[in-house]
Amino acid sequence: MIDQEILDIFKKALKNSSADQTELVCESEEFYLTRFAENLIHQNMGRSDSTIWCRAIFGKRIGVSRSNEPTAEGVVKLIKAAEEIAQNQKEDPDFQSLLSYPGRSKSSGFYSSIFEYSAGDRADVVSDIVRRAKSDSLSCAGTFQTSATSLAVVNSLGTENFARNTEYRFTLTASVKDGLSGWAQAAGRDVEKFDFKTVSQRALDKASLAGEPVALDPGAYTVILEPDAVANFLLFLAFLGFGGKLLHQNRSFMSGKIGEKIMGDNITITEDPFHPAIEYLPFDYEGVPRQKVTIIENGIARAGVYNSYYANLAGTQSTGHALQPDNSYGPYPKAMVIDPGENNVEDMISSTDYGIYITRFWYLNFLNPMRTMVTGYTRDGTFLIENGKITKPVVDMRIQQSMLEAFSEVETLSAEQRLIPQYGALMLVPFMKINNFNLTVA
Amino acid sequence: MAQIDKLIVNAVGEARSSGASYADCRYVEIEDESLSFSNGSPESVQKSSDKGLGVRVLVDGAWGFFGTSVITTKEISRAVKKAIEIGKAAAGLNDKPVELADTESYKDNYVSNFIKDPFEVSLKEKLDYLSELDGAMAAHEELSSRDSHIDFRKTSSFFASSEGTQVQQKIIHSGVGIDLGMSSSRRERASRSYPKNGGQYECKGYELLSEYDFKSEIPRLFEEVKALLAAAACPSKITDIVFEGSVVSLLIHELIGHPLELDRVFGSERNFSGTSFATVDKLGSLRYGSSIINVVSDPTHAYGLASYGYDDEGVKARRADLIKDGILAGYLSSRETAALIGERSTGAMRADSWGNIPIVRITNVNLAPGDKSFNDIISSVDNGIYMSTISSWSPSDDRSSFEFGCEIAWEIKGGKPGQVFKNPTFSGKTLEFWNSVKAIGDESSWKIWGTPNCGKGQPGQNARTAQGASPILVSNVRVGG
Repeated sequence: MIDQEILDIFKKALKNSSADQTELVCESEEFYLTRFAENLIHQNMGRSDSTIWCRAIFGKRIGVSRSNEPTAEGVVKLIKAAEEIAQNQKEDPDFQSLLSYPGRSKSSGFYSSIFEYSAGDRADVVSDIVRRAKSDSLSCAGTFQTSATSLAVVNSLGTENFARNTEYRFTLTASVKDGLSGWAQAAGRDVEKFDFKTVSQRALDKASLAGEPVALDPGAYTVILEPDAVANFLLFLAFLGFGGKLLHQNRSFMSGKIGEKIMGDNITITEDPFHPAIEYLPFDYEGVPRQKVTIIENGIARAGVYNSYYANLAGTQSTGHALQPDNSYGPYPKAMVIDPGENNVEDMISSTDYGIYITRFWYLNFLNPMRTMVTGYTRDGTFLIENGKITKPVVDMRIQQSMLEAFSEVETLSAEQRLIPQYGALMLVPFMKINNFNLTVA
Repeated sequence: MAQIDKLIVNAVGEARSSGASYADCRYVEIEDESLSFSNGSPESVQKSSDKGLGVRVLVDGAWGFFGTSVITTKEISRAVKKAIEIGKAAAGLNDKPVELADTESYKDNYVSNFIKDPFEVSLKEKLDYLSELDGAMAAHEELSSRDSHIDFRKTSSFFASSEGTQVQQKIIHSGVGIDLGMSSSRRERASRSYPKNGGQYECKGYELLSEYDFKSEIPRLFEEVKALLAAAACPSKITDIVFEGSVVSLLIHELIGHPLELDRVFGSERNFSGTSFATVDKLGSLRYGSSIINVVSDPTHAYGLASYGYDDEGVKARRADLIKDGILAGYLSSRETAALIGERSTGAMRADSWGNIPIVRITNVNLAPGDKSFNDIISSVDNGIYMSTISSWSPSDDRSSFEFGCEIAWEIKGGKPGQVFKNPTFSGKTLEFWNSVKAIGDESSWKIWGTPNCGKGQPGQNARTAQGASPILVSNVRVGG
């Protein structure tokens, strides 16, 4: 993995740039993953890579190039490629300027223990889980990954920043022969603190609840969503509306709704990169320090997240949420937190006369983005609740639900929050009990 | 490349002498160029290159893999050692050693079909092309959004295995697409894309762009966007549907391609992409579709996004039956999964880069054309719906059921398309659906549609696949919720 030496390479290379403004970014990673299925390790891999980007700007003409050659020679080549593009590019009238953030951000979330964690250590964890699964006649599939990442940003206006962090992610599906299954996942920065026995036992216990599944009729149900399912919705909401690009283009469900109530009083969503459970990299791909942003406050839409380009268009400041220079999604939140409630999942279940317990959703896709209407399936642990108790598994159902309406029907939230990783995001979210949740047959 | 080839061959030798019973090494270099316009402004113009190598070993009967982007003798030795160490760690748990189906060894050089190398076309020419496209859309002032893009990829690779295969490949892909949008309020927005949602991608050079007459299509698309804003919601009912070819392409992808990936059938994707209803006990007997359904895996097709000479474990591309006369006839497989059913690999093992281990992927999965013209199909429907351009898709994890949405639909009455419907969706059970196919469009309406963003695997890999399809007529499909 690339260290701070990249900053010197970048600063020297900047002298070769003839552009009005130049930005250089390096993201470097050492990544390991052990993947298992049918109680065997079937993919076991590692990778070492560094991606570098150059954004070269002549006036309002912008060129972006990317490679994975973070050497002095490679960076100069990269700058020349970006310059050539910019010089042939049309003007972007909305572009103003790169930003200047010379100060180094304080970084957390790096634990050197990750480097001592070997393929053998990961295999030992998998072996322990498989042993317990086999004793319950269960079959396991999952992943255990460990990684270390560094990010460096330098630009010709004086921005210079470097940070690194570490991460582990773990997923497990435990299943019985007829296909019923249980799911659990976990993530964190310090792999030494990973309590794999507790996390994996959740999936094993859930699979052990298997029995003859009952098929339910389509209808509006009271549901209890595990944090995984809540995070599925949250990530989709972010995708459909929390970013400054969609807000600016009036393509977000929050466009024109800032200051208005769009969810229930009990929903507060914050982008909080500094939360001690998340410890996200402290600055974005433009070198701008990340800010804590209240997106939804007691159900009221407050703000989106911004990079420099869309902040300028919106007449606001960047919140430090730029993605990689060659992305087309615009700014995006990656460290979201839903405030907890005061309940616990046991109380949610015991207070439910008739409802459905949902572990997670699968293959969500939007049917009507502006109405946040999505479809998808329940998966890996869907159970019927009768008279305050989980009684039997349910044949997985299809959801057809507006996410905003669901978050307006939240009866209670748990005090417990779990850290859920999905794609590049880490989300800290509670359990939710939601009324009038629309489910149909798969 | 000759210098790198030598390093790759040496890495394979080093892996064997370090205890690997089998080893292969892939060097991959990918050049990408993406240009897009949005609402009259150049949204992005990007060039990228990515190169590195991946060493894959079988040691003590288990797989180990390590990839690196640093191409030096020292780093390659580290990659070999890491791959061996990783493989050995897995071997402790695995009581059954991996076995590979036999394959021949090859020494070859494969170059894909293209006429004009897009990387030799100037940036100016490409930007002028997009500017012209944008201008044609801008003529319709009521549009609130105009997006256009062109994309090009060149993949150069060298593969060597301890069984003596040494294959060099150069493959070029091109893509192009537009999207027109209009809003009537903050909550009502309609859009149409062309040639399909996300654009059309093929294994061709710059010549792909000249195959589409955007200027003629834009007025039609504009009228359709306007019609959608005024349209009624698609009614919920069970009816006959004619699906436009690009819709069929994604149906093939999700409901035939994925369920027939043999690694998935054996449970390798249980934790992520899911399982498959098409288990191996059903091979040769499962009535997958009506008797007019014939589907092949064909990476030898000239123009698909999965057209190649060899897959990423050195298996020569070949055509293989997946569904024959409606009956399940085969799977997409690797050497490891093919061995489990006593077959040869169909050559479907691919990685999205040097840094990922190959897994079984959808290839060019093609539905054979039927014998009806598109007009004959439409005119054969008394009462039904015609749907075009996928906008949303959601299959169940075992692919036995699904719900999809399209950009636009037309009511068909008395064999003629009429009223436009917005937000059309349809759902059903996979086998019932394919068994209800009543007609397939002929050669004149058949096209190989590219899917440049197929996600699978952990870590996630983004494969390029293709599906050959023509329009189909399906009876008794559930429309709406």
